[in-house]
Amino acid sequence: MKIASKHPLIVGTASLILATVAMYGCQDFLEKAGQPQGTLNEQTLLNKAGVEGSLIAAYRAVEWNNGVGGAWGNAASNWVWASVTSDDAYKGSEASDQPPINDIEAYHWSTADAESYLNQKWRGTYEGVVRSNATLRLLKQIQAKAPAELSTADAAGIEGEALFLRAFYHFEGYRMWGSVPYYKEDDTDFKKANDTPADVITKILADLDAAIAKLGPAPRNGQKGRASQWTAKAYKGRVQMYAGQYAAALITLRDVQANGPYGLETSFDRVWTGFQSAANGPETIFAYQASNNDGEPNGNDANFGERLNLPHGTSHSSCCGFHQPSQNLVNFYRVDAAGLPLSISNPANWNASNANFTATTAVAVDPRLDWTVGRDGVPYKDWGAHSPAWIRAASYGGTYSPKKNAHEIASGAESSVGWVPSQLNSVNIHLFRYADLLLMLAEAEVEAGSLVNAWNIVNQIRTRAGVRAQGCGLPPSSEAAARAALVAAYPQCASDTRIAVPINDPSITWATYRVNPYPVPFASQAAAREAVRTERRLELAMEGQRFFDLKRYGTMVADLNAYLKGVGGGNERARRPYLPAAEDPGAKHMNFPIPAIQIELSKVGGAPRLKQPTGW
Amino acid sequence: MEKKQPRRHSFRDSRPHRWLAVAVGVVLALVFSATAYAQQAQISGTVTSAYGAPLRGVAVRVQGTEIRTLTDQNGRYTITAAPNAVITYSLLGQRVAQRGVGGRSTIDVTMEPIAFLEEVVVTAYTEQRRADITGAVSSMNVEAASRQTSASVLQRLDVTVPGVTVEASGSPGSRSTVRVRGVSSFQNNDPLYIVDGTPVQDTYVNWLNPNDIASVQVLKDASAASIYGARASNGVIVIETTKRELGAPRATLRVRTGMATPVRGYDDILLTNTLDYFRVVKQSYDNAGVAIPAELTAIYGDPNNPTIPKYMFVDNPAIISKDAFGRPVNVDESKYSYPDVLIMPASAGTNWWDAVFGTATIGDYNLDIAGGAEDNQYGVSFNYFDQGGTARFNGYKRGSARVNTAFNRGRLRFGENIAISADRANGGIANDPGGYAEDGILGKNILLEPLVPVYDIRGNFAGAKAPLTGNQSNPLKYAQARKDNFNRNERIFGNLFAGLDVNPNVQLRSKLGFNLAQRAFSAFNPIVPENSEESLVNSFNEENNQYRDWTWSNTANINRKFSAHTLSVLLGQEANQTINRFLTAGISGLLNTDVNSRFLQDALGDAASKNVSSTGWQTALLSFFGKADYNYADKYVLSFTLRQDGSSNLGPKNRWGTFPAFGLGWRLTQEPFFANNKLLSDVMLRFGWGVTGNQQIPAGRVVSQFGGSRGDTYYDIGGGNSIVSGFRQTSLGNPDLKWEENRSTNVGADIALWNGRVNVVVDVFSRKTNNLLFNPPIPATAGIADAPIVNIGKMENNGYDFSIGHRSANWSVTWNGSHYSNKIKSIDGVTDFFYGPITTRYGNQVINKVGFPIGSFYGLVADGYFPNAADAASHKTTNGTCAVKPCQDGAAMGRIRFKDTNGDGFVTLADRTVIGSPHPDFTSGLDLSARRGNWDLSGTVFGSFGNDIFDVQKEFYVFRNFSTNVRKDLLANSWTPSNPNAKYPRLDVTDNFSHQISSFYVEDGSYVRLRNVQLGYSVPPRFSRWTAASRVYLQAENLFTITGYDGLDPSLPAANITGPAGDIRDQYRGIDRGSYPSNRVISLGLVTTF
Repeated sequence: MKIASKHPLIVGTASLILATVAMYGCQDFLEKAGQPQGTLNEQTLLNKAGVEGSLIAAYRAVEWNNGVGGAWGNAASNWVWASVTSDDAYKGSEASDQPPINDIEAYHWSTADAESYLNQKWRGTYEGVVRSNATLRLLKQIQAKAPAELSTADAAGIEGEALFLRAFYHFEGYRMWGSVPYYKEDDTDFKKANDTPADVITKILADLDAAIAKLGPAPRNGQKGRASQWTAKAYKGRVQMYAGQYAAALITLRDVQANGPYGLETSFDRVWTGFQSAANGPETIFAYQASNNDGEPNGNDANFGERLNLPHGTSHSSCCGFHQPSQNLVNFYRVDAAGLPLSISNPANWNASNANFTATTAVAVDPRLDWTVGRDGVPYKDWGAHSPAWIRAASYGGTYSPKKNAHEIASGAESSVGWVPSQLNSVNIHLFRYADLLLMLAEAEVEAGSLVNAWNIVNQIRTRAGVRAQGCGLPPSSEAAARAALVAAYPQCASDTRIAVPINDPSITWATYRVNPYPVPFASQAAAREAVRTERRLELAMEGQRFFDLKRYGTMVADLNAYLKGVGGGNERARRPYLPAAEDPGAKHMNFPIPAIQIELSKVGGAPRLKQPTGW
Repeated sequence: MEKKQPRRHSFRDSRPHRWLAVAVGVVLALVFSATAYAQQAQISGTVTSAYGAPLRGVAVRVQGTEIRTLTDQNGRYTITAAPNAVITYSLLGQRVAQRGVGGRSTIDVTMEPIAFLEEVVVTAYTEQRRADITGAVSSMNVEAASRQTSASVLQRLDVTVPGVTVEASGSPGSRSTVRVRGVSSFQNNDPLYIVDGTPVQDTYVNWLNPNDIASVQVLKDASAASIYGARASNGVIVIETTKRELGAPRATLRVRTGMATPVRGYDDILLTNTLDYFRVVKQSYDNAGVAIPAELTAIYGDPNNPTIPKYMFVDNPAIISKDAFGRPVNVDESKYSYPDVLIMPASAGTNWWDAVFGTATIGDYNLDIAGGAEDNQYGVSFNYFDQGGTARFNGYKRGSARVNTAFNRGRLRFGENIAISADRANGGIANDPGGYAEDGILGKNILLEPLVPVYDIRGNFAGAKAPLTGNQSNPLKYAQARKDNFNRNERIFGNLFAGLDVNPNVQLRSKLGFNLAQRAFSAFNPIVPENSEESLVNSFNEENNQYRDWTWSNTANINRKFSAHTLSVLLGQEANQTINRFLTAGISGLLNTDVNSRFLQDALGDAASKNVSSTGWQTALLSFFGKADYNYADKYVLSFTLRQDGSSNLGPKNRWGTFPAFGLGWRLTQEPFFANNKLLSDVMLRFGWGVTGNQQIPAGRVVSQFGGSRGDTYYDIGGGNSIVSGFRQTSLGNPDLKWEENRSTNVGADIALWNGRVNVVVDVFSRKTNNLLFNPPIPATAGIADAPIVNIGKMENNGYDFSIGHRSANWSVTWNGSHYSNKIKSIDGVTDFFYGPITTRYGNQVINKVGFPIGSFYGLVADGYFPNAADAASHKTTNGTCAVKPCQDGAAMGRIRFKDTNGDGFVTLADRTVIGSPHPDFTSGLDLSARRGNWDLSGTVFGSFGNDIFDVQKEFYVFRNFSTNVRKDLLANSWTPSNPNAKYPRLDVTDNFSHQISSFYVEDGSYVRLRNVQLGYSVPPRFSRWTAASRVYLQAENLFTITGYDGLDPSLPAANITGPAGDIRDQYRGIDRGSYPSNRVISLGLVTTF
């Protein structure tokens, strides 16, 4: 071509263009750029590290705040769902903060606000299920493709733990909504209809039985956060109790009592604590293993779901004053001259006091009060004496602070990162502890008519409760103001750093502690039932069990109406300015409504597969 | 208006040989000039525009010879011509003029502006005559746009381009949300910007100096845009920077300085007196029958005789004694110790707005130098832009330089356009807040009670530390503590190009565009002991982002003309790759909080808290395209485009998309039956149809992804405070991902009336998006892994836009208007809605619902108030029912009554419905300019009509959530039995119901704003000894706004929010969560040329 020889530039440009086309025309250019960056893929996880990591993630979801738009609705302790909704606690803080919990506390559960929290819980629950099932699937794949990758023991352990977790999460769903869909590892349709409550129970129990068969007697690798055969058995007993299968529960729980590795902590202060030395003691059946200062920049691994639930104001944590114990609960810890619950010996008047129950030796109380509730004048672990300045808005949420989830300053459990680090700690959250199990066993014994067994258990619990009471707990020198205030109020505390002391220790001048065993066996099944239930509340108050327990008892509607309108000479509607607007709890409140958005998302061909529980 | 590049234009005006001849002729003329000039006479004169302004750079040519010259700054020229010669005068944008010499030695010429259809505009990879365009293409009025002060040119688009809406906050250097003809997708709706031929997707474009811009064309429909197929779905905005020109070096200096103030302040809206505030509080307790809580009497004393105490807050150790109300009266101020023992005085009325907002200065300085000859042209420009924020301690600065050069060597042409820029935004105020906006300065923090003082007794910042005074942060402290936070961007953007004219009909071009960016971000969070929710640990984090994008395009243009038939064909190929890498790191507990100690080193803070992570993505596109334009006698115009794109973001099987388009044009006035119509001098009817694509989703979503993080999947399984790694599925992949397609149809007309005195452009369009790329929510039972992106959704936009302009010698006016209606047609085929991305205190207020526009407001319908106690009691839900339907929870007199929209007798969530839309029904711009002598006056008015605003701030300044300050008129205009139709519900501290998300929050957001007005004076040469031409002007922006909106500023930015499928700001627009208000800017400017 003439033009070509005359114009090398043309040829050059044209060949350049052709070269470009050739170079980029190949699919490689797009293929290479299409690779995801900075992520793992399914193949990388097809090995021991992968499946173990997947299982770890399944455990992590028991208290987990990522991805569900907030964490309080998904807190491991269920404080929103089972404590604030019950007679144990108020939302606390001030009216404007976390308004969804205002609606939840006032039994307005179908508002948009309440739904946002319910959706957190629903999503958190099923994320746990999804992670458990992902582990089971991965395990199957590894066993099919590379059977040598896992030892038989590990394979069985992984499977058992994952099955346990799957049962655990579905049980959370069952406690909340009753009728929930059950998902297994081979499910691919995520728009399944609800199972009936009975079917849910059957499936949970089947998974727990399968887990029991696979798991060893001790946690795998000696890692205390893992479920063992005994964890699964204990849960099986709990599930049977929830299902009202008392006879079956009796067998399961007796087995755990007689043959299991569990026992009560020597004293109550060791149950909820930031001291590592007491973490995962004999009483722990299953707990969220909180950790802090582990490199997570926002403290998300710490006790995140409880972070709002510490004193406010000038307290050591300084924020945020949620989950405040109710006046009803505080009154409930009063004891009679015999050191027995006043609510039993004086049912008409135990709850009559509307006054701020501050430090006094004039009124005897169960020492568990001051491990459960922060009240003015009484030392608060080693933070100094609880002060009115620690309360965010007494006119709204009352004068008391939660205490169980608080860490001791000296324990080193406090986070150094995150928004308000002093409210993040590594206090483990008990999801199931042995005292809880024993009291459930006592219930089963009562239902079986073995009142003496129940009497023994209750007394075992009460005896332990009487071992230690709150001591001076002189704050460390870094807390100069709190330290000075404590010493000013209680000179005997000037050098007394003991957080827990014998209940009759002379240093105690802020309270009279008294808790005695029931001297004689219960006179009747009804009396036994009442004593066991009373003990259960005293022992497990503020631990997010109460509302679920009332549901189990079948007394929720009556008890909570009484709580609002009058019981023991007092009523909460008169105590809190916002409670007159609360709806009367009714039969529909036996279950929470399923978040409407999830019902919408379960639509197939225009019709939702998920159905609301009765009444919603 | 386009600046023509003589060389590039040469083949398009179908006189190629003449131009070649010109080039040769110039050389010959130079060689033989002495001879040639000897026989002729000198002629001089001035060329002016129809408005009387001198025109520079007019090509003055003696017909039939190669003698030519250019006019100077004053429009003057001198040329040598024979006494009987004819001289032609040509300048882009002006009609060519011819004058016979007729023996004169002075010839002054007034040029007429060229008619609309004769303009030449740069559209796709090439230039086109307006008359050859069959799609919907609008040009920005560069001159009108230059009257606005903004770091980004994008914020100047909406006034003069019909069909374009722009949302931005008043924060200096803020992000822009530019939308062309509505919203076509659930995410990623930014148009594609083509800057000097290089594609870029960016919502700031702050690196581009607006003063460098020569033209902006908006390609609004597919028939115009589909040549950019892959990314053209949201419209294409073609930006050309000022190009070199012929002539001696000329320097232009442009200087503008001004003062900015917010258009409106919260102090116009909120109480600034403490006791007035307490009256509102007291009324809300009194009405509820609840005693004033002790926390408040401990501040105000006797509620019936409230007084301002000496102290608002005193930490316990400093209190010596308190009065009967619990107010500290005797205080030992020597016990003050920061941060442990704080003492704050009470304020009789802090004006928080005033404490934070005020006047800011703006400076914009430009110098550009350009010149050239036939074989080389150059343009160099420098810019320094410095805009202070009207909020204290924030601002934006930019320095940039641009070099554009071009060389001609025979038939080869090559050169480059490069801009380098460095900018820095200071301060901690997000220009468009993201998720939880209330925690910024402008959310609820600025709504701090007037009781709270700015400073405590020792001059440290005070806060709402006393019980029941809120949980806000001191906004001034917030700003001050973050004054050294920065967001720095450095950018090199430009291209290298080469072109070859193979023969007069064939041109080859190759262009390598690049966009290299680096971003550094540093943020400090202070301790806040003065807050109710105090925190005593500081933290610091920094981010670094490296971005590299290149585009290599190769095109061939072939033009043929056979008698009346003109055919041009464009063939091209393009490859693009983008690589992004992002590093973020933080540390807390800095020992030294000084700005010089803000680094990530173990020794500088709490080493255990140091953490770092990085992410990245890459994408590539490969494209082939062709375009054929056929023109028969300027009467019938036909264009056909076909583009094929391959995207690395999509599934291997569906990677390639084909995007066809065609356009038809019929120039009626060229028909004999229409010729010489006195009224209609030019009428062109246009029809266009085409398909454009969108693949703008995060990379790598074809496959499922797994990952983990310490806070999400890691766990302390051993119970010893040491975590073990864990993994989960983080996103679900979809191997079948394919192109999102936007089919658009456009019918339009370009009409010139009265010989071009009035130009009308009207377009009617329909845009239908199919296979919409989107991640519809999946049931939670499938887990929280990001839902797969699928191609199911459908969306539709229909509308029209128009522009009517009139131009005469002394004045001109352009009015444009546009309308679109957006409708979601399908989401995932099953569910018919999903909520917006952000919830506020009282829940979700946005829904995306089939049959409604994207981002519609959603809630209950407020229906007045319960008129009396008896009526309320009859409707109040008790034990699940009530006496008179509909039943409503918490019904009480003076509370908001909601509509039972589904008629089931109960007011529940099921009664929520669409209660408003952020989309305007109509937007309009009016641009006016007039000239008299040396004076000129111009201005633009912008209006938005029919859009709603959801005022989230009502959660605070009406419902007093978190003890915030309230509206001035709250006490007077709240419901009482004697004011039953009040503006606000009854003040009632126990009312937990009226604040539900409802139409009560929705207001009409329509507004009309005088965007700018400018008065200029061209200094006559006799006054300017040192400069040849200069002009001074005084201008005002946003001088007044007419609106019924009750909040701060009806012109709102979209939320800065991203979801797993990308930028989802369109799901959260028109929502007032406390946005940085627009600025009123008064400035003085000077333009001088020398």
